[in-house]
Amino acid sequence: MQRIFSSDGPSVFHLSAHEKELFLKVLELYPLIPDGHSRLSKTEAPALEEAQRLLDEALAEQRQTNRRQLDAMLASPQRFTAQRRGFRLRLASSEIEQLLQILNDIRVGCWLLLGSPEEPKRQRMLGDPKKMPYIVVMDLCGHFQSALLQE
Amino acid sequence: MAEPVTPVVKPEIEKNQQTDPKQDLEPGYLVVCWNDPVNLMTYVTHVFQTVFGWQRQKAEFHMLQVHNQGKSVLVRDTLERAEHYVHQLHKYTLHATLERD
Repeated sequence: MQRIFSSDGPSVFHLSAHEKELFLKVLELYPLIPDGHSRLSKTEAPALEEAQRLLDEALAEQRQTNRRQLDAMLASPQRFTAQRRGFRLRLASSEIEQLLQILNDIRVGCWLLLGSPEEPKRQRMLGDPKKMPYIVVMDLCGHFQSALLQE
Repeated sequence: MAEPVTPVVKPEIEKNQQTDPKQDLEPGYLVVCWNDPVNLMTYVTHVFQTVFGWQRQKAEFHMLQVHNQGKSVLVRDTLERAEHYVHQLHKYTLHATLERD
């Protein structure tokens, strides 16, 4: 996936047919981070209990909204345009921001499912057939995030 | 002749034990971002630029502080604004908290 055109209008990315397939497969996993995972503070101050509840509610609602808007985004007939070699993907800047959040949710969600390993341990997990799929998804998310962040 | 005076009883104001509104309005809360070895460095820089409106250089400075030192204090602000920033950072799944200064 590579950014090929960017002006005042939407950004345009090139994806091979295989990349498009993987992109859609990965996005099906959203959301992966469980509700209530995020902590507002390291300290358990009673004054922050209400604020923590509001954070949990806001993030749960945001994930639902993102899922709904993602489905609508991908269903748009103009989203992917077939080319001789692959596809062109058009995204507005707000859609890029949303996709970055979604891809990072999946990436961090996989990492949590693996037990939050440090990098050297993560590489060793590639030999474990049960854990390898999560690592592959993490790397795919990183690949798509990097492409979206290209200038 | 003066009219009889009705004694006025001032309502007793119960002090809220949990929050002090005056303190909430003081910039006494720190927004801290913690290192999660899973986040891309370019992504963290981008999020700091987006959430705080920082130039790339400042965003990279804090990203590297998170990466090398395990955490970075991003801003010091009121409780309300610190909560807002933490919410925004969590939307991008960064590990951020607010702490009393």
